[in-house]
This record gives sequence, C-alpha cells and structure tokens, in this order.
Amino acid sequence: MKTRITKTLLDSWAYTFDCYEGGEEDAMNDFIRTLNREPIEENEAIANGKAFEDLCFRIANGEKVYEEKLAGELIPAAVASEIIEPNTGEPKIIRSYPKWYNGAKKIADIVEGGQWQVHVDTDLTVGGREFWLHGFCDVVKAGVIYDIKFKQKSFGGLDLYGSYRNHSQHSAYLRCLPEAYEFVYLVSDGDELYTEAYTRQTCRPIEDIIQEFMNWLESKPELLKIYEEKWVVDG
Amino acid sequence: MIQHGYELDFSKQTFGVILYGAPGIGKTTLALSDGNNGGDTLLIDLEHGVGRTNPIHRMNASVLSAATYEEVLSDLNTPEAFAAKTIVIDTAGSLVDYLKDWAMRTKSDARQKNGAFNGLKGFGYVKSELESFVNKIKVVMNKNVVFIFHCDEKADKDGNPIQRLRCEGSFRNTVWTGIDFGAYIQMIGNKRYACFTPEDEFFAKGCHGISGHVEIQNLTEETSNDFLQKLFDSARKNMAAENQGVEERMTQYKGVIAAVKEMVEGVTDADTANSCMKAIVSMDHALTSKKEAGKILNDKAKSLGLRFDVPTRSYVADGDKK
Repeated sequence: MKTRITKTLLDSWAYTFDCYEGGEEDAMNDFIRTLNREPIEENEAIANGKAFEDLCFRIANGEKVYEEKLAGELIPAAVASEIIEPNTGEPKIIRSYPKWYNGAKKIADIVEGGQWQVHVDTDLTVGGREFWLHGFCDVVKAGVIYDIKFKQKSFGGLDLYGSYRNHSQHSAYLRCLPEAYEFVYLVSDGDELYTEAYTRQTCRPIEDIIQEFMNWLESKPELLKIYEEKWVVDG
Repeated sequence: MIQHGYELDFSKQTFGVILYGAPGIGKTTLALSDGNNGGDTLLIDLEHGVGRTNPIHRMNASVLSAATYEEVLSDLNTPEAFAAKTIVIDTAGSLVDYLKDWAMRTKSDARQKNGAFNGLKGFGYVKSELESFVNKIKVVMNKNVVFIFHCDEKADKDGNPIQRLRCEGSFRNTVWTGIDFGAYIQMIGNKRYACFTPEDEFFAKGCHGISGHVEIQNLTEETSNDFLQKLFDSARKNMAAENQGVEERMTQYKGVIAAVKEMVEGVTDADTANSCMKAIVSMDHALTSKKEAGKILNDKAKSLGLRFDVPTRSYVADGDKK
C-alpha cells in the first residue's frame, strides 16, 4: 500500500510538540483534522497570507497594483492649478500603493521571472513503506525553490532566524525536485524582508522525518488506521 | 562595464559576517583578523571594548570611537575608513542604541512627552537609517562588514538553551539576509570554534564551501590573527570554482526557458501542445528548466481548455477521452 505524505501533514504533527505552552490540545486537534483531511477553516491569518502572496505575484508579473490620482482631485479646485509639476507643466499625479506593498515588492524583485505554484512529487520507500511525497512550491526559479511567508506581527517583536530549521518543507521539496540546489523562505511582515536559505547539506533528510512520524503513528494504532485509510494513493 | 559571468574576478569579492557568542570568547579579536597591515580593518568601537584585545592581535586595525551616531557617520567619510578592507561594528546592538539616541535628538516624534523613546515611531527611523548605513559600507564603500553581537542565552519550550542575538528591533532578523557568513563562537572542550551550520541551540549561516565547525587557532605573540583573512580567501577560491559550473548552467537555463516561451506561444490546440511537450522533453535542460518549462506549457494548455490525460500522457481537449 502506498500512502501520500505532505509537508502540511508533517508540520501539523511536528507542531503538536513545538506549539506554545498551553496550546497542546489545540495543536493535537488541528493535527487530527489534518489527518482526517478535513478542510482548513480560513481565518484572518490565512486570508492575509493569501492576499500578500497574491500581491507579490501581481507585482512580479508587472501588474499595476497602485492607484493614481491627480493631486488636484484631493484638494479644493481653487488651488488645484498650483499642483502642477513645475518641470513638465503636467498635473501632478499622486500614487496610492496598497498596504504591504514594500514587503511584497522586495519579494517580487527576487522571484520575478519564476514559475508559480509548481507541483513537485516523488516516490519514496521509508522503513519498508511506500510513500508518495508531493506538494506545491510557491515559486521555482533557476534552481531555487522559494516559499513566501507572511507574518502579521511586525518583525521587531520576533526572533525569526532559525525558526524554519525544523520545518519539513525544505527537506521535502528539495527531495522532490533534485535539480533545485537551494530552498529559500521569503518572510515579510508587509514591510521588511527576512530570508532563510537551506541546501541539502543543511537540512535533515526527509526520510528521517517521515520515519520519526511513522514511528510515532505506529505507537497510536487508531491514528495509524486513519492515516492508512485517508491518505492511501488510489490505484 | 559588462562582463560575462566566466570573466568575473572574485579576488576582491567582499563579504558580510555576523559573529556572536558569550562575553570573553574573543569576538572582537576574531573580527580584527582580516589583513596584515595597519589600517586594513576599521573597528567601529561602540562599546569601548578594543582595550580588552591583545595589542599584537589588533596591529592591522584603526579604531573609530564616537559619542554619537553623527560622529560615526562623519568618521566614515575619512581617508582611513576608505582605505580599510573590512569594517567591524562592535556591537550591532550598540549601533541600534546609538541610532535610538540619534532619532530622539533629531526626530521630534521619536521622543515621548516624558522623554522616553517612542518605539512605534522611533524604530521606523532607526530601521531606515540603519539600512542606509549598512548599504553605504557594503555597496557604496564596497567593504567587508563584520557585525559583532552579544549573545543572550534563553530557554526553549523544553528548557534547552538557545542562543539569541542581543539587539533591539527587527535588525536581528533582517541582518541575516544581507550577510554571507553567520557564526556562533563557542568553546567545545578546550578548543574554540566558529560554527557556520545551524543547530538546535543556535542559528548560523555558511556558504561558498564554508560550513560546520571551524576551529579558531589559539593566538600567541608568534601567531598571526588571520582567521577571517583565510576564511575570505577560501570563500573567494570556492566562488571562482563554483562560478565555472554555475555560469554554464545558468546560460543554458536561460536559453532553454527563452526557447520554451517562444514554442509555447505557438501552442493553439492539443496537437501543438503535445508536439511542444515532446520538444521540451528532448531539450538539454539545466537547473530547474524542465520543471519550469512543464509549468509554462501546462498553464498555456489550461488557458486553451486542454487537460493532461494521465493514462495517455498527452493533452486532450477538456471533456475528450483520447
């Protein structure tokens, strides 16, 4: 029997050990929902993350994301004639950028020209079990896989560096796409950019992570049963 | 001047470095280890810590001491600063403190009525000024830059120690983006190591063949303080070697992607999509060009109402069964 496995499932499981103090029950419930392949309820954080990624996409694709107004529209007509570019004699244009533009532009500059939402997959055998590991890379460009993360909280209060080290995503996607040599997390709070890069030399083999997950699951037969039922690869 | 990638000369490549570790571990001495000649390194000594280094091991350094951020900026425009190969900021956390003081004195809304720093507004000024300061050293002056940080040992959720950069504001995160090497300095047994690969206890960064634990030689009056000089030389050699292969692959990658985009323009139906797919498969791919080419074709096929039929491994009109 071959079962599918994703970074979402592995990270949801890992979070049950890594969650904030007092959040263990919620984390376990979230994991069980993921294990049951229940759709994730869209909350504000997820919606903001999607909106931010969409903004990055639009900027990277050369879309005009700002609005333009004649400066004269914003002030009484009597003084509008004063808002003229002295160098050109043209009415002065004021641009209005969407929120998070600064952060999104920094990311768009990096990923411009890459391919978005690229599906990657591979078959694996771990501990005698067969797996189909798959997922979607946000962007693939010239040998590098990029993943865009949005933080609702400003960077000033966070210690981000190293925070992605124990995620399974870079291990999984570098395994699925052997031609890629690097995985880079592009993290923004809508203004600043923090990057964290991993290569095969600096990440754990995904087989080790899957093996740990299966060892844990095998010690919980009721959960193993759900996994084998819900995550089996058809055909 | 435009150069081909294979013509690039890395012999003068500059680097950004983070060094952090416990007090007394020798961060400042280590930061002064690029160059043999007086003035090769400029130490911006914001904590007046240079006196704790052995004079023999700081022979290559000039020292900039300043009471205010404005004095630091002014001293950066001196011939001594321009002559240096490497500029050391000791410490980055103190530079942020200097900038807070500068913001409070020069920006009215960075100070609260009670005289305290207004973090909400003030860190905005600190952030943009810091960005332009670092940019000046790295890009305009084209120097190696070494950021020294003190280190705070904290406990993770399970009570295990984790090492954190001591620095207010977001700089402790964003500083990692622009640097090449980030090392946690620690004693293991009776030896000192610069650790360039992240571990559970600390974060680190290595590239151009520099990784893992690199032993730091104990300095005596007879040995030279040249750790960073050797590290930079080694990275430059590795960059030159890496570049030979990468440049070739990048050129090939760009050629393939350009050709694929042109071919995909001509796709109008299932037959042309399938011909295009065959052509893509037979191309001489580099880096991730094959995967990206597949995505480009697939997006076009979808826009034409085609779908990929897995059993026949071909595109068909949506609704058709081949």
